[in-house]
Amino acid sequence: MVGELAGNYSTVVLMFGFAMAAMAPALVISRMISPRKRSNPVKFLPMECGQVPSGEGRTHFMMQYYPYILMFVVFDVMAIFLYAWGSALLEIPKMATLPMMGFLAIMFGAMAFALYQSGRRRIW
Amino acid sequence: MSVIAPNFKLSEFIKSLLDNVFWIVLLLVLIGIPAVMMVLFFMEMPVIDGELLTPFLALTWLADPSRILPVVKAFMATDIFRVMAFPGFGFAALLAAGTIFVERKMLAKLQLRVGPFYCGKFEGILQLMGDGLKLISKEIIIPAKADKPIFWAAPVLFVAAAAAFVAFIPVAPGWVVADVEMGLLGVFAVIGFFPIITILSAWSANSKFPFIGGIRALFQMVSFEIPLILSLLGVVMLTGSLNLSQIAASQSSFPWIVFLPVGAIVFFITMLAELERIPFDLPEAESEIVAGWLTELSGMMYGLVQLGTYLKLYAFAALFVVIFLGGWNGPMVVPPFPAELLEEGIELGPIVAGPFPGLPLFDQAMLNGTLWFVLKTVAVIFFILLPRGVFPRIRVDMLLNLGWTKLIGLAFVNIFIALGLLYAGVLGPGGLQ
Repeated sequence: MVGELAGNYSTVVLMFGFAMAAMAPALVISRMISPRKRSNPVKFLPMECGQVPSGEGRTHFMMQYYPYILMFVVFDVMAIFLYAWGSALLEIPKMATLPMMGFLAIMFGAMAFALYQSGRRRIW
Repeated sequence: MSVIAPNFKLSEFIKSLLDNVFWIVLLLVLIGIPAVMMVLFFMEMPVIDGELLTPFLALTWLADPSRILPVVKAFMATDIFRVMAFPGFGFAALLAAGTIFVERKMLAKLQLRVGPFYCGKFEGILQLMGDGLKLISKEIIIPAKADKPIFWAAPVLFVAAAAAFVAFIPVAPGWVVADVEMGLLGVFAVIGFFPIITILSAWSANSKFPFIGGIRALFQMVSFEIPLILSLLGVVMLTGSLNLSQIAASQSSFPWIVFLPVGAIVFFITMLAELERIPFDLPEAESEIVAGWLTELSGMMYGLVQLGTYLKLYAFAALFVVIFLGGWNGPMVVPPFPAELLEEGIELGPIVAGPFPGLPLFDQAMLNGTLWFVLKTVAVIFFILLPRGVFPRIRVDMLLNLGWTKLIGLAFVNIFIALGLLYAGVLGPGGLQ
């Protein structure tokens, strides 16, 4: 039963695999017919607008938007939970919507607090 | 006017061509033909008209349309045809290629330029082919200290993920690669792959501009994923199904955009952000960070990423059509297949072709559905392309603020509109439809 359900998705994997099998030869052919000259080590330096690159390519980089990432972890799960409720909405009794509204109210409160905190940039 | 390179030697050019031909023939003989033989040995061939179809019989029947048509029909019913050609990769790639050309021409007209003009006799129609040839003949430069396996794999994975997205899209009734119960959740799962591939490619390049671009892409996709998911919940609530074919079939009398315009607007804006189109093209902002996460990609790797981007664009536009604009539903405009062709055949002067009993390869409903689907998709693609000639880029904090406060709020407004319509008895069981 479970295998049957998962087997329905085999065509998605097939499509994924076909695209890989069809596109990888483009890279191989390109490698075969294009010129390859290893004359100059500067050629292989990372792009830095014509200058010799300084410093590391992979560094710690401050983006300063962590609250959004933290919110994402919570709300992405919440959104999928809402789908479990929404797709069954036509079958369940109307009273079953009330606890969902309570859940949403709690979530709104939490989200408003998180957004307020994310607005206070200096604490991050 | 191009000038032949000063070191050009015709003999060496011919030698390189012959080298390639030699290797292709060698690999074909040593690997290709045995592989085909092995596949044919293990494959179950279909039985047609009581005869087992062997490759020899299939080649013999090629001359006779009345015998080859069932073979073609049997092939078109297989998963391979769906994946490779019609609702899958070939169809999507064709629409994507058309999109690239139309985008360049339309953008040029918006900015009072001519756009592609010389390649091909008419309005630069062969420009795309020329660009493809140029990209494939360029050297691929991998930056020093890059993580080579990941850097090579990222463009191919990007195209493959876009193709997996295309697999969920129903084009006509019954014509979908993967007709799964949880189709919409599958779409969300595939969309979640793109930021990972982007950040992998950006991190492996060992360069500053791709790194910043990749982080920006991550932020953008993270902050727009939740409004994207929530904006489609209203339709799911009213349809009671996550299957995209059922969602499209439920709109036979009216499209959902009539009742849920707020959700459609939110989904369109998040779609622009997920596609990195112009008001939200921070990850590839060419005036700030060279080309964002595409900076170090050269030659065919860049070409593959472009192909993947446009496949993704087609898939998102098609998803919008399926969920909000009614998918394949539309008035029947395709004429029925002429019946005399089946019974009597064609007589055109000296040419007489016998009756073709198996001829209508595609039935009328499928042709009509595809026509309406393509028309609507092209219209949506036009509206996705349009902002590129009109709007400036927005700042990253404005983007996050927009995604997290305004769009999520509007998505919840949409959910409450859907709930209200359902409980007021306008839609759902006992209501319209």
